Amino acid sequence: MTDNKDPIVASRRRFIRNAGALALTAPLISRAALDTGEGVTFAGGERPLVQFPEKRKLILVHSRPPHLETPFSVFNEGVITSNDAFYVRYHLANFPTLIDVEDYRLTVRGAVKNRLSLSLDELKAIAESVEVVAVNQCSGNSRGYSKPRVFGAQLSNGAMGNAKWTGVPLRAVLQKAGVVADAAQVYFNGLDKPVLPGTPDFRKALDIEHALSAEPLLAWAMNDEDLPFLNGYPLKLIVPGYFGTYWVKHLSDIVVLDHAFKGHDAYFMNKAYRVPDNDCMCIAPGTAADKTRPISTLPVRSFITSVTAGGHLPVARRVELKGIAFDSGSSIKTVDVSIDGGRTWKAATLGENLGRFSFREWTLATTFTQKGDAILMVRASNNNAEVQPLKADWNPGGYRRHAIESTAVTIF
Amino acid sequence: MQFVKSFRFALVSTLLFTAHLVTADAKQIQLPPETAKLPESDLAGYKLATQKCTICHSVDYIQFQAPGMNQAQWTSEVAKMKHSYGAELSAAEIKSIGAYLAVVYGTAKATDSEVLVVSVVDMSAAEKAEAELDVQVLLDTNGCLGCHALDAKLLGPSFKAIAVKYKSDVQAQAMLARSIQQGGVGKWGQIPMPPIAGLSDKQAEALAAFIMAP
Repeated sequence: MTDNKDPIVASRRRFIRNAGALALTAPLISRAALDTGEGVTFAGGERPLVQFPEKRKLILVHSRPPHLETPFSVFNEGVITSNDAFYVRYHLANFPTLIDVEDYRLTVRGAVKNRLSLSLDELKAIAESVEVVAVNQCSGNSRGYSKPRVFGAQLSNGAMGNAKWTGVPLRAVLQKAGVVADAAQVYFNGLDKPVLPGTPDFRKALDIEHALSAEPLLAWAMNDEDLPFLNGYPLKLIVPGYFGTYWVKHLSDIVVLDHAFKGHDAYFMNKAYRVPDNDCMCIAPGTAADKTRPISTLPVRSFITSVTAGGHLPVARRVELKGIAFDSGSSIKTVDVSIDGGRTWKAATLGENLGRFSFREWTLATTFTQKGDAILMVRASNNNAEVQPLKADWNPGGYRRHAIESTAVTIF
Repeated sequence: MQFVKSFRFALVSTLLFTAHLVTADAKQIQLPPETAKLPESDLAGYKLATQKCTICHSVDYIQFQAPGMNQAQWTSEVAKMKHSYGAELSAAEIKSIGAYLAVVYGTAKATDSEVLVVSVVDMSAAEKAEAELDVQVLLDTNGCLGCHALDAKLLGPSFKAIAVKYKSDVQAQAMLARSIQQGGVGKWGQIPMPPIAGLSDKQAEALAAFIMAP
């Protein structure tokens, strides 16, 4: 075992590197003392920072099953989220803590001509490996800001991350198995299981057209390393542009169906992770939707990362504001920034394009002319003519929040 | 070191001590212990919540919900655990747990009449079991069989496996009774057993005796 392969050593190095980067920009970044709620309040106490395997200290959402949020300061370290900082979210507590890839098999079955049972090496040999940089954002990211509040994990904005995923296209595997002509959907299952027999398993389905498109990937590497255990080792379904709920961890079973996925174990498609079936996917606060549909793609969203709420920025000096923007894959068109609470907007400069599913960095150099309180805002648009709305809408699950973010800072 | 990418020592020790062969390609993690506890209360829902909710998830899952929810909202959330997630809860238990959670985490007060009226647990089954120490009733009413079976490993070990493991240990029965009341983790894997805090000493002893019986 070399030092380079030891994740503890690697993460320590990364930490030292990141600490250096923070030190360089420290004069412009003054953050309030670490607030793990990041503005969200809770029923009982404050969320601690906790140490889980292969991770740096992350914010505890709940410990069993593991659910960890990335502290927002991480997103200022770069557009790629480090593996050791990437958020973790399980639904079911009964999952293995030891996985031996010698024993591991991926099964492809159902409405296929040839049932497959593949080792990881066999899977890797099915097609040339491909890479995609893509954002994985939890459907409930930012749920803690829902007004009125709703039950569910009270997340701040850190249930997202952007990584380079390496794997083979899902369709290469489906083609090898030979999908039958009347296939309708494909469902995906991982090694995690419910604790009680009455609890539905966590299984997710994609329409066959989507499953056979170029985009979904079966990935074994994240940022050129093995997937962290808690992010789905040894194999994860990557669905670029779609919310993280579809990105099944510890993927072990792919089942092609000649009908729509249904039944007790279709709960997380047919009962949970659903949004109102209308254009805004929203309803009046406190009401219930008549009709719902599965949550799907990421709405256009942007954040300021170089300063957080309560931060201090200097007057009469050039300040570079920096942040990220992303959407479901049409690509970011514009990012506008306001430093006066939305009265005037300036176009930010977009950074390097790592692909249409990736975080896109933006920067804007500005000079504050007055001391006192200021509201910074950031607004992105994409090539689908979607623009972030000023006011957040509401849905019962607290899903897909994407309104323009406001950051209150002090100019000194 | 929490993370083990297995190396020769692990391979050798695994070969020596267990039947399962762990190869150089195995990856193993150890999850940190849970620390959150439900706030103590005289309300009946406290013991019920301690025992039932933690079968599937840690206390922090509840603790870090939104503040300001009322009794109806908490009760409806507990009902969801039964109707959507298959938790074994009676209608009375749902109301009792909902009231307790609304008091310790929401807007309700322990003295509210709405809280008091649902915080009375129907003791008939429990009293009957106490009187007769009916093991079958104890197993059913405490959700034991959700995780254990007589002869097969479910989430937890089979009762038979426990009896075999401890058969030559004279202290085993008393230790087992305490484990049932207090919960535990590590003896049989990393999935913790929640404390079955509502059991009396006699009931826990009866269950332990049943499990250890040849």
